[in-house]
Amino acid sequence: MTISRRGFAAGSLAIAGAVGTGLLPLAGPARAQAKKRIAFFVKNVTNPFWKACRIGAEKAAKELGVDLQVVAPTKPDNIEEQTRLVEDWIVKKPDAFVFVPVDYKALVPSIQKANKAGIPVINYNNKMTGIDKVTFIGSDDAHFEYEMCKYLFKSMGGKGDVVHIDGVPAAITAQMRKKGFEKAVAEFPGIKVLASQPGMYRRLPAQQVFENLMQRFPKIDAVVSANDDMAVGIVEALHAAGRGGKTKVVGIDGIPDAIQAIAAGKMFATVDFSGHDQSYLAVQAAVRHLKGEKVPPEILLPVFIIDKGNVATVAKTPEERKPPSWDKVVSK
Amino acid sequence: MSIGASSAVTASPAELLGLSPDRAFVAISRLTALVVLIVVLSFMSPYFLTWANLVNILRHAAPLFVMSVGLTIVVLTAGIDLSVGAVLGLCACLAASLISTGQPELGVLAALGAGLACGLVNGILVAYARIPAFIATYGMLWIANGLAYVFMSGEVIYGLPASFRVIGTGMLGPVPVPVVIMLVLLAALAVVMQRTPFGRGVYAIGGNPVAARLSGMPVERRLIGVYVLSGLMVAIASLIVIARTNAADVSLGEEQLLPAIAAVCLGGTSLFGGVGGVAGTAVGAIILAVVLNGMNLIGVKTFWQAGVLGLIILLSVLADQLVARRINRPSP
Amino acid sequence: MTMAADTGARTERGASLRRLADAPGAVYLLAVLSIGLTLLTPNFFSVENLTNVALQVAVLVIVALGMTLVILTEGIDLSLGPVLGLCGVVMGMLVVSGTPLWLAIAAAVLIGAAFGAANGLLVAYVALPPFIVTLSTFGIAQSLATMLTEGNSITGLPSYVRWFNEGRLIGLPIPLWATAIAFAVTYLLLYHTRFGRYTFAIGGNRRALELSGSNARLFHVLVYVYAGVLTALASFIMTARMNAAHPTIGVGLEFDAIAAVILGGTSFEKGRGGIAGTLIGALAVGVLRNGLNLMGVSTEWQVAIVGLIIIAAVGLDSMRGRNS
Repeated sequence: MTISRRGFAAGSLAIAGAVGTGLLPLAGPARAQAKKRIAFFVKNVTNPFWKACRIGAEKAAKELGVDLQVVAPTKPDNIEEQTRLVEDWIVKKPDAFVFVPVDYKALVPSIQKANKAGIPVINYNNKMTGIDKVTFIGSDDAHFEYEMCKYLFKSMGGKGDVVHIDGVPAAITAQMRKKGFEKAVAEFPGIKVLASQPGMYRRLPAQQVFENLMQRFPKIDAVVSANDDMAVGIVEALHAAGRGGKTKVVGIDGIPDAIQAIAAGKMFATVDFSGHDQSYLAVQAAVRHLKGEKVPPEILLPVFIIDKGNVATVAKTPEERKPPSWDKVVSK
Repeated sequence: MSIGASSAVTASPAELLGLSPDRAFVAISRLTALVVLIVVLSFMSPYFLTWANLVNILRHAAPLFVMSVGLTIVVLTAGIDLSVGAVLGLCACLAASLISTGQPELGVLAALGAGLACGLVNGILVAYARIPAFIATYGMLWIANGLAYVFMSGEVIYGLPASFRVIGTGMLGPVPVPVVIMLVLLAALAVVMQRTPFGRGVYAIGGNPVAARLSGMPVERRLIGVYVLSGLMVAIASLIVIARTNAADVSLGEEQLLPAIAAVCLGGTSLFGGVGGVAGTAVGAIILAVVLNGMNLIGVKTFWQAGVLGLIILLSVLADQLVARRINRPSP
Repeated sequence: MTMAADTGARTERGASLRRLADAPGAVYLLAVLSIGLTLLTPNFFSVENLTNVALQVAVLVIVALGMTLVILTEGIDLSLGPVLGLCGVVMGMLVVSGTPLWLAIAAAVLIGAAFGAANGLLVAYVALPPFIVTLSTFGIAQSLATMLTEGNSITGLPSYVRWFNEGRLIGLPIPLWATAIAFAVTYLLLYHTRFGRYTFAIGGNRRALELSGSNARLFHVLVYVYAGVLTALASFIMTARMNAAHPTIGVGLEFDAIAAVILGGTSFEKGRGGIAGTLIGALAVGVLRNGLNLMGVSTEWQVAIVGLIIIAAVGLDSMRGRNS
């Protein structure tokens, strides 16, 4: 009995050891001596937006010869886990953080710790306040949605019935986008908002909510969706119900799926909210800062609306996309 | 469409008559609840009781039922499968990647294969390694999520051929194809559970595992079969879901566990095992779909969904238990 | 050295070896991880990082202590994660509106206790399955927390709240004191009071207990109440750590806690196990996560590895006959 137990104990040790050593090849590349090391944070590894960010950042890292390590929580958008990630990475002491918070308020104390540890922080995508940051690089969500809605409402002749599909109500991007939507609605008295419901930024919930809303509203002239993933889901729902082509659907982001839907004439328009460009510029900013160059405190990307007229000129995947020129965006 | 549902439950009136009083209460209370819900919602929203909306509700209920029916059988053995959502996500991604490149047969096989493999591993861990089902399937949840993350690396797959999408969006006469799939699976599994040694074994294992073992039943093999069945059902559900959304990403399975378990409990299957059945789960899924649809139609905030699901589960099990106790008094 | 002394020493060594062989999987996991990470990464074995890990697992340990007691009664409490979020949110809102801290904490404790009491009553008196009861209260707590805040974080807490995360007492950070006190109190309750004896007995032989006419059900409810109260206290540490309260902060924590308890050798059946194992189990979970980050394992693989290791560690235990 004792022996077999001891055998099991030894066996368990061996297996645990094997698991441990098995991790080795999975570990990232060994620390390069001369290269600058940048910890690049994203909110999750499940959403294509963050993949586009990763690709943009990797392009910049390759061009500039820095070692880029992508950091993401295993539970998508989990605040507590990102807090731990920040703490663990402060221990690893990279040369800079290129950071997006999963919650723009909750991560402030963690980033203050990074500030205290003397790690420069470049903030991208979601703006944080109350921290020391080299710069913020992003797109003004409220302004983007405002311009998108203005474009849509003008195309409708300033009147019609509109459904708004919100993102995750707590997310700062969703709140700003909703603000932009409301501002545009206020400027067009002929636009009537039938309903505004959250679709959680994800296709399936948005599609289900919209399928139910379609039952309530036999006539919907346009749908303003807080992102493209939901917008494409809504387009699918409209077509499945035989109501395709009668409702103008707009989103934000410019994901490949939406670009294809616009090219096919199924979706009306979207606005290019490019994670690829944001992160490319953010890594550039980090390297420029490390070299001692001066970086402006805030860099905002210009509004670019994609519709049937210009969709052919838009790159379909982040891999194909041409990186933006630093000087052009910064001197804007 | 409540008629279709009730006919499913009252399929064999003799059986209903032969039910013990507490089981009869479960059946009658659920159907009453469904009828009351339908009447109340018809008064609250003029859009509720329309043919289009009822079809819409059944369309939502179908994948929920297919996902929960395998779970029902697991629960009948007093087990649990926490991995249903994660496995659904994995199957959806594997299938979509092959189907979108023009290999629908391979895609369907890949989903079924992945579902089978995950179920098999769950079953072996529970039956032979004697790991509590809760932990084994929780570990599988992480593994399936991880594999899906690695496989997709943040990508979304979209654009499935119309021929495949029929199983999610098509109609067979007046009935949506997913509802046909639901009814076929329901009929097949009801026969399996009532008329085969496998079905009787499931009830025996859940009701009295010691007696089942002593009677010479191959308990381990039955258990593996049960978890494999759950994996396969989840795989079929994943196909219906991607056919509907026309896209797949790893987040598809998120937040599916609570609704799935809610459908099982609403259907009157006891988490203690041995009591309940697949027909009940069909009614449970329809009630849930009605509730969610009603909440959207009356405009209840999405925030309440989790709470309402929780309350519904609690009320249904509470009512069952109190009635069972009164009928079976003196209870220990 | 005489023969007798020699055999005595040998049996003693045998006994300690046996005890080691009996130790739950978490002990080996923790040992292997610690040695491996010290050899493989330059940062693991540093005061900074180890303090880091200890602070990271403080909340998990406190929640897992309560969970251990619940699991010892052959129960489970899935609601602890969302209840932690709800307690934190209520506490945060009260403090921000100018309520004294002690009152806000009392309110949180009351909420934790109320959820525990509801769970316990339904489990002990109505005899509903703990899984389903606490899954329902999981949904209810989650909805309440998001409704109260419209999904937003509660920020702007008074600056003294942060001291409860960053402050030190005799060189030890406050969260570690809180964890140590929670452990000590739970230890006393579990091993030196009637409450503890009942906790083991409810899981071990409930029928006998109920037939003996004792008030086992009352103690059964108290176990859930105690888990709720510990969770409320943990929510305070969490709020101080984040310097904000967030309605969904606790979601998923309940499963981490259950994993820590089971890794620590407590069984779902028959009231076997204890809180020392849970402490090690939680540490193992914390070190594993920290180590994967330090080694730079990509997030995608981390997800799969966590699942594999949970299954492997628990599987080894059950194959050694601990859980059968």
